[in-house]
Amino acid sequence: MKWLTYIWIGILLLITGISIPQCLNTAGEGSFINKTGQQSTLDPQGPIAQNQLDVFYVTLWVTLFLFITVGGALAFATWKFRVRKGDDPNYIPAQSHGHPLVELGLVVGSAALLVVIAIPTFSGILLKDQIPVPEDGEVIEINVTGYQWWWGFEYPEHGIHTANEIVFPAGKVIKLNLKANDVIHSFWLPKLAGKMDLIPGRDNKMWIQADEPGYFWGQCAEYCGDSHAYMLFRAVALSEEDYAKWIVDQQTPSVAGGADYSPTNVEEADKDLILKGTDLFVQNCVRCHSVDPKVQTMGPNLAHFGSRTSIAAGWLENEPENLEHWILHPDKVKPGNFMWKGFPDPYNPKGPPQMEGLMDANLTREDAQALVAYLYSLK
Amino acid sequence: MSTTQASYGTWSRPLKKTGLVGFLTTVDHKKIGIGYAIGALFFLLVGGVEALIIRLQLMSPENNLVDAETYNQLFTMHGTTMVFLAVMPLSAAFFNYIMPLQIGARDVAFPRLNALGLWCFIAGGVIVNLSWFFQAAPDIGWFGYAPLTSKQFDPDIGTDFWIIGLQILGIASLAGSFNFITTILNMRAPGLTMMRLPVFTWMTLITSFLIILAFPPITIALVELMFDRHFGTHFFNVAGGGKPILWQHVFWIFGHPEVYILILPAMGIISEVLPVFSRKPLFGYPLVVFSGAVIGFLGFAVWSHHMFTTGLGIVATSAFAFLTMLISIPTGVKIFNWIGTLWGGRISFSVPMLYALGFIWMFMMGGFTGIMHSSPPVDAQQQDSYFVIAHFHYVLIGGSIFALLCGIYFWFPKVTGKLMDEGAGKAFFYTIFFGFNLAFFPMHILGMTGMPRRTHTYKAEMGWAEPNFWSTIGALILGVGIAAVVLQVIYSCFKGKPSGNNPWDARTLEWDTSSPPKEYNFGYTPIIKARDQVWENNHGTDLKKMDKIAPDSHGIHMPDQSWWPLVVSIGLFIAGLGVVFHHQPWGMLIPFVGGESVISLLHITMPGLLLTFFGIYMWALEGPGGYHLHPDPEELKNAIDPKESGHWE
Repeated sequence: MKWLTYIWIGILLLITGISIPQCLNTAGEGSFINKTGQQSTLDPQGPIAQNQLDVFYVTLWVTLFLFITVGGALAFATWKFRVRKGDDPNYIPAQSHGHPLVELGLVVGSAALLVVIAIPTFSGILLKDQIPVPEDGEVIEINVTGYQWWWGFEYPEHGIHTANEIVFPAGKVIKLNLKANDVIHSFWLPKLAGKMDLIPGRDNKMWIQADEPGYFWGQCAEYCGDSHAYMLFRAVALSEEDYAKWIVDQQTPSVAGGADYSPTNVEEADKDLILKGTDLFVQNCVRCHSVDPKVQTMGPNLAHFGSRTSIAAGWLENEPENLEHWILHPDKVKPGNFMWKGFPDPYNPKGPPQMEGLMDANLTREDAQALVAYLYSLK
Repeated sequence: MSTTQASYGTWSRPLKKTGLVGFLTTVDHKKIGIGYAIGALFFLLVGGVEALIIRLQLMSPENNLVDAETYNQLFTMHGTTMVFLAVMPLSAAFFNYIMPLQIGARDVAFPRLNALGLWCFIAGGVIVNLSWFFQAAPDIGWFGYAPLTSKQFDPDIGTDFWIIGLQILGIASLAGSFNFITTILNMRAPGLTMMRLPVFTWMTLITSFLIILAFPPITIALVELMFDRHFGTHFFNVAGGGKPILWQHVFWIFGHPEVYILILPAMGIISEVLPVFSRKPLFGYPLVVFSGAVIGFLGFAVWSHHMFTTGLGIVATSAFAFLTMLISIPTGVKIFNWIGTLWGGRISFSVPMLYALGFIWMFMMGGFTGIMHSSPPVDAQQQDSYFVIAHFHYVLIGGSIFALLCGIYFWFPKVTGKLMDEGAGKAFFYTIFFGFNLAFFPMHILGMTGMPRRTHTYKAEMGWAEPNFWSTIGALILGVGIAAVVLQVIYSCFKGKPSGNNPWDARTLEWDTSSPPKEYNFGYTPIIKARDQVWENNHGTDLKKMDKIAPDSHGIHMPDQSWWPLVVSIGLFIAGLGVVFHHQPWGMLIPFVGGESVISLLHITMPGLLLTFFGIYMWALEGPGGYHLHPDPEELKNAIDPKESGHWE
């Protein structure tokens, strides 16, 4: 029995020995504390995230102080008043019941420490909840809508829709109007701002600002059903010129328009494949997906899809192999998503779907490649 | 010992004290307490296995151990099981067993109601877990946020199991709480004034008040949800004019006091154990009691800090933030007083004391991270991230579970008359302490580097693989430790060395009676003269020593056993199942039954309710009953004759 205990303690010490150096390693991707990771709140890139990190450090220092003083007192008392070897275990120490002044002092002291936290807290609340109006009066508004399990972004000033990649100019105040289409979601772009919920029947708003042009990762932070873990998004902060150009690009139709879904610029070499893809798209996809930036249907808007960097709500990079796999087997990439099993009928969710999914489309590999070619032609 | 037995009414009451009948019809608070403990430890292991599957799934990025739906079911059931089926009933086990002994009572005020509480806990626990066997465990999270719980987004019956299970568990908690409040206020031994009550009994009282005030909101919320799902109402359905945010308010006005329902009993246990092993009274007793009450009171004023990200507006957000910060003051007061208790004492490190000290350290850690996200700007980043998971596991495992294990080691000799091995106990404690910290400390880092909770997988390039790996290793070690403790409890029940009545030289009244206590608890009426009465008996002045008054010539009046609490809970169980399967085809419940016929409320719920009402009717009809026991003359050696005592005039 004793040997067993020693071996067990040995194993625990070994694990401690291995894990502590791991914990101290903060450099690079494989490290324990990935400080500059894609969604790290410890690497803020905008004023709100910066403020939230600053307040976090205030709370961290205050509680660290408390931990050292209170924990120090606890450790000291435990050590000093322990039963020592040779002590009489039946010794009875003085039966003191308390000291009102000591207790009052500690209460007042801890209340004072709370004030240290309360003040930056209040200014942080004001900063987050009051959307600043810049001197030129120009606030860029973007409507964000949460769907199971993807994001819709609408630019009301320009009348355009896009999905899963939010693009905005750096250095500007961006006002986000948050709505949910089905269940509650939460918009979280850790490097720019803490989260805000998207709640059905409720209009929430928040603002973000990126200090410099950059590329950011975000994720839904409220549990929203089966594929919640796959509901990511990307954010692209552009310079003002690039942003103006992006808006013009988005406003330019990428398909002929009306009932004609064929792309406007088709390179001669891929023409047959793209035309095949167009037909397949019309047969299988248009009931949910629009390719017109002005129209939002029940699925993600795919206008200018070729210019996006990610697919499947930020889960995969936008590369031909990924896209082909995604079209052929959305269920294997994101189990439970509607693109495969169809969009359920809200009044009879267990019955036949309102819109059929790709499960019944029996797409072949060639079909998928044609669709990939078509989608990439939508620049 | 001789008994006199009377029979009442036409239905004869069960008499057997042992065996299955004895257990099913018992009204003895001690047996009921043990029943709660067995159930709670079983569900603790079930919830623990669920947790380990969750951890194994997250051990590496893009892992495929379980799919998304199963994972969602696992975390829902893990949360529900641990809160409602493990920690709450384990606290209830101590309330039942220890509290009447601490106040010198013969039993609780309503012994049959107490039995109903136990059987409703079992019925509710079975209903919630039955969902696994219909491949339909709920996958809505333990918080069940609308509108994800509506028929539209969640057509499976898992949510219905969850609703009905929680309702029946609510009956158990409410029945117990009313009982404990009545018992503590009315059945204290002579001289045991409120400010002489042991702190654990105080916390039982405060927790019971929290339960009776916090459970009505969740009951209403669950009824509304049930009506939305089955009967076409629109409480939470936006299309019908409802508001999903309503659910969050009602849920958290229950849910936040629930947090204190889980931690206050733990604080009570710690406040009992620290003085015993420091051989000193609790430092600042009035302040510890008062701060417990303040925590309970403020607990109802902070629910919206769970909703800082829902867009409450500046005023509400600030108000709830500052009120939340205020709670850290009474909580801090408790920690200061525990340190004050140690100060100047003679501290011996028995296993209960190790858990108590571990509790203070871990609870302090969890408390500090709690202060962090009481600040909405900080919370905006931490909400729904792994940081929050780290926080509440530090207060619920490092806090509640450590304290409950502390209570198990501390009161085990009282309950069984046997000792648990100190060496093994210490080895298991260090295993649990180590595993727990390795499992949960890395989650702080995961949260700060952006990992959201309730996600079954994550991408490798996010850089969360390392902490997740170590966390899983820690969870496995923690699991080994908890399982070892449960095995040690079972082993010691049979093979433990005899403990004597008061092996710890403990201070409060429960240590005055025999271990295990007799059916009637105390053969005499104790006359209380001091706060730590048993300590005064052993080490105090003669003035503060307790008097014992022998019972009257007719003996000690004991409550009769009864079948009806069990019958009522079976009726509720059947009625509940009927609601779960409302509008479902018969084939779902009974294999090989096909056809178009669906189950309606008339088929199962109606008979269930009839059985419930029949049980209640018979319960009322049979009356409290009772019989008399004559204690062992040996116990009454120093007792005063009741006629001479002058206490009964």
